Amino acid sequence: MTFNLDLILNSFPLLLIGAGVTVQITLLSVLVGVVIGLFVGIMRISSFKLLRFLGAVYVDFFRGTPLLVQIFLIYFAIPAITGQRMDPFVAAISACGINSGAYVAEIFRAGIQSIDKGQMEAGRSLGMTWIQTMRFIIVPQAFKRVIPPLGNEFIALLKDSSLVSVIGFEELTRRGQLIIAKTYGSLEIWLSVAIIYLIMTLTISRFVAFLEKKFNTERK
Amino acid sequence: MSIIEIRGLQKSFGDLQVIRGIDLNIEEKEVVVIIGPSGSGKSTLLRCMNYLEQPTGGSIVVDGIPLDGEANINKVREEVGMVFQRFNLFPHMTVLDNITLAPMKVRGIDKTQAEHTAIDLLTRVGLADKAQSYPDQLSGGQQQRVAIARALAMQPKVMLFDEPTSALDPEMVGEVLDVMKRLAESGMTMVIVTHEMGFAREVGDRLLFVDGGYIVEQGAPKEVFENPKEERTRSFLSKVL
Repeated sequence: MTFNLDLILNSFPLLLIGAGVTVQITLLSVLVGVVIGLFVGIMRISSFKLLRFLGAVYVDFFRGTPLLVQIFLIYFAIPAITGQRMDPFVAAISACGINSGAYVAEIFRAGIQSIDKGQMEAGRSLGMTWIQTMRFIIVPQAFKRVIPPLGNEFIALLKDSSLVSVIGFEELTRRGQLIIAKTYGSLEIWLSVAIIYLIMTLTISRFVAFLEKKFNTERK
Repeated sequence: MSIIEIRGLQKSFGDLQVIRGIDLNIEEKEVVVIIGPSGSGKSTLLRCMNYLEQPTGGSIVVDGIPLDGEANINKVREEVGMVFQRFNLFPHMTVLDNITLAPMKVRGIDKTQAEHTAIDLLTRVGLADKAQSYPDQLSGGQQQRVAIARALAMQPKVMLFDEPTSALDPEMVGEVLDVMKRLAESGMTMVIVTHEMGFAREVGDRLLFVDGGYIVEQGAPKEVFENPKEERTRSFLSKVL
């Protein structure tokens, strides 16, 4: 067998465009995931039973079913009900964001619950409301603790975004598939794709390590 | 009118009844010391006074405000400072920020004024030079003094102390008790749960002995220590004195 270096060099620009799309989906999904995660995470620790229940249902459902199935549900099943075609980009971001939200909610919940309950008591005893105490005392402390698990989640999300290739969305994995379909260069292209993913995930993990260090030395 | 009026207070945790009906009035400028064996309900009684524990029966009125409903509870908490056994300082903030946070957020006092007050209070507890330190850079005794300053920054009418020296190394107990003693002398209304019998006797205006969820006996500290009327008080005091 031969290893075709030219194929890699020629395909690289196209793969990089795909990588750009992957980064785009990941960043937007992270944003959606963090916003959902914050709300669902707070629902999970709320003193209202109904909110706790709804939060738990959300987490159980989206953590307990495969992301691939969720992508199909959003891309194929919802249009079947509404009769409107779903934009692949919207479907990709929604599926990844909604799915990630379940994991992020658990990360936030655990982070908040890891803060000594004396902190909430101290804040409340000073006359601050629950929301003020959360905002100024609990969340800033929890934030430091959730950086490492959030980093893991973002790396997982970046890799899982490859699943949206099944709805024809042209991110990195899909680009690879398309190039292989024309050139038959499985080894060269999948290797290139893997290396590009690796570079992206390593960048995230370096960045997370940097943040962790920064917050630990600066204290705030 | 008493500053704290407690009527028929009851508190259960599930099936466990911790407070079984307590009536108690605390007068302005009074220093009330609560003693009793562990599990007697003394900390719970104290924590009901600012609603950190929600009573299961009875009523509490603080400074004319009944403790019912979220708005009233927050209003009462602005007037009632609390010092905890484990200090509960905010570890991500400097000492100064620990003290200025609530006055700024709750009372809406501006930063300059809040910091000015904070430095005054730190001077009173002998820690003016620690304003920019973080809690974990301080000893236990220093942390507890900061916690007292933090509570005082809200200019409360009553201060509650929940075993303020129980988590301290023995050599640091004195510095915290000194601060509390000076606070009592300045006319602050104080309710103190403690195991420091010498302090209770010296500083308290009234001593409550709590056991089994009731106030078993109360009176002037000297009186209760020297001539306990109840058998349970006698047996407790014989163990701790």
